[in-house]
Amino acid sequence: MVFDVLKYRAANKAWQEKYDALAPKAGDIAPDFELCDVKGQNPIRLSAFQGQKPVALVFGSYT
Amino acid sequence: MSLHDLYHQYRDRVQFLMVYIREAHPVDGWWLGGGITGVVTKAIGFTAATDVYDPKTTEERQAVAGRCQSELKYEIPICVDTIDNVVNTAYAAHPTRLYLIGKDGRVVYAGRLGPFGFKPDELGEAIEKYLAAGQSKE
Repeated sequence: MVFDVLKYRAANKAWQEKYDALAPKAGDIAPDFELCDVKGQNPIRLSAFQGQKPVALVFGSYT
Repeated sequence: MSLHDLYHQYRDRVQFLMVYIREAHPVDGWWLGGGITGVVTKAIGFTAATDVYDPKTTEERQAVAGRCQSELKYEIPICVDTIDNVVNTAYAAHPTRLYLIGKDGRVVYAGRLGPFGFKPDELGEAIEKYLAAGQSKE
């Protein structure tokens, strides 16, 4: 178990540091995307909310 | 303040959107459901699933996201990242992260890296400040 924590924690941290350097910061244009809902339907495009409402993005998973 | 508290407080003025990304702790990865961690996570009422394998297709991920939505009675609208993790990567979001995007399409608040930097209170403060600034211009 300890080995798993060390292994996965190190891998996750390396991934975060690599991509966080490229991720948008305050003031940057937010990367646009279009994704479907849990049924694979009703595509939502981030940029569709421009000029309408601010958007709170919550990234996560069930685990 | 929880995310759902924020959602209920601001949903009329802010579009909330969950982006369902790569699993944080799947059975076939960094699993938290076994051994001592399994006992501890149950004891503290951890609501995350401990029986999910890492999806191999976008459709599998959508199915897990649907299960999450129904079992947790998750009210925030969910969209699901594709299996190539393009959106997750663009936002360096794994395992959890919060952002606030302004009406002009620019980032207002970029939350720190999860899980320890996942701070709904900070998002709430950013929303309040953003909305207050908008009102003062009107």
